[in-house]
Amino acid sequence: MQHEFNNRIAAQRAILKIVNGNGWEAEDLFGLSHKAIERWVSINRLDPNSALVNLVKEAAQKLFFLANKSQEQITSEYERTSSEVSAIRDALAAELAGVNPSHF
Amino acid sequence: MRTHIYAFGSICRGDVSPGSDVDLLALVEEYEPRFDPDTYSIYSYKRIGEIWEEGNPFAWHLSLEAKLSFSSDNFDPLKLLGTPGPYRNCARDCDKFRSLFFDARKSLERAHTSKIFDLSTVFLGIRNLATCFSLGVLRQPDFSRHSALRLGERSLSIPRQSYEVLERSRILCTRGYGAKVSDEEVELASANFSLIEQWMTTLVQEAQHHAA
Repeated sequence: MQHEFNNRIAAQRAILKIVNGNGWEAEDLFGLSHKAIERWVSINRLDPNSALVNLVKEAAQKLFFLANKSQEQITSEYERTSSEVSAIRDALAAELAGVNPSHF
Repeated sequence: MRTHIYAFGSICRGDVSPGSDVDLLALVEEYEPRFDPDTYSIYSYKRIGEIWEEGNPFAWHLSLEAKLSFSSDNFDPLKLLGTPGPYRNCARDCDKFRSLFFDARKSLERAHTSKIFDLSTVFLGIRNLATCFSLGVLRQPDFSRHSALRLGERSLSIPRQSYEVLERSRILCTRGYGAKVSDEEVELASANFSLIEQWMTTLVQEAQHHAA
């Protein structure tokens, strides 16, 4: 429990490293807040309805509180959703495997 | 259904800037889809009562700053809760936020991607550690974004430009706002990590001593 908050940050980092692993021409995804995702989609001219963008939004939804609320250190949500986040992380890796991000 | 909406954060303190968001709290009986979690911190009455009892920093934050914006029943439930319980986990929380910094530093050293996120996490660790320390040790809580610079003689002392790179990274990651941080700026901020570690360790030790 002590490091639950840190674990959630680590989960967000893991998602970002997968998404940014191949590098983006214009700009990396900086965070999983709604506004950070909007910026990334817009600046890289991604299809907002693509599988990749939907997976990123799904991960953000699972981790929403830490993406935008730095002072909330309390929730039991993460315990319930951590396995779902892992599944999304795997799906993102599969989605990006061997694919040029500029195709999205 | 019973509902209460509060504003808190910079909008109540008046220290707004282009990177500020509007912090809103919604108190609800049960899950209500009309409240967007990107806009609201959403709590049940039961949970808010629990964090009040725990003396959680967020409860203290709300008790000292939150302003009622809407009440479905003309009551102010946060006011009715009174003063939160004593904050007992300061040393543990300070240590936790120092660990957050260690994790981000390690990530920055090892990987070549998502560096701005790691800098953002460094800023988060600095700010939250300072806020917890101000509440738990100094008994002069500071919930502002710049709490680390408002601890008197214990304030974080790093070059202003480096601090601003960390803050900008945080705003980019949360609000998606601002100019991208360059590789040179990443280096500039990273060059002060030993000073940040030293500052954090001093505060963690003082918090531990205070708790003993």
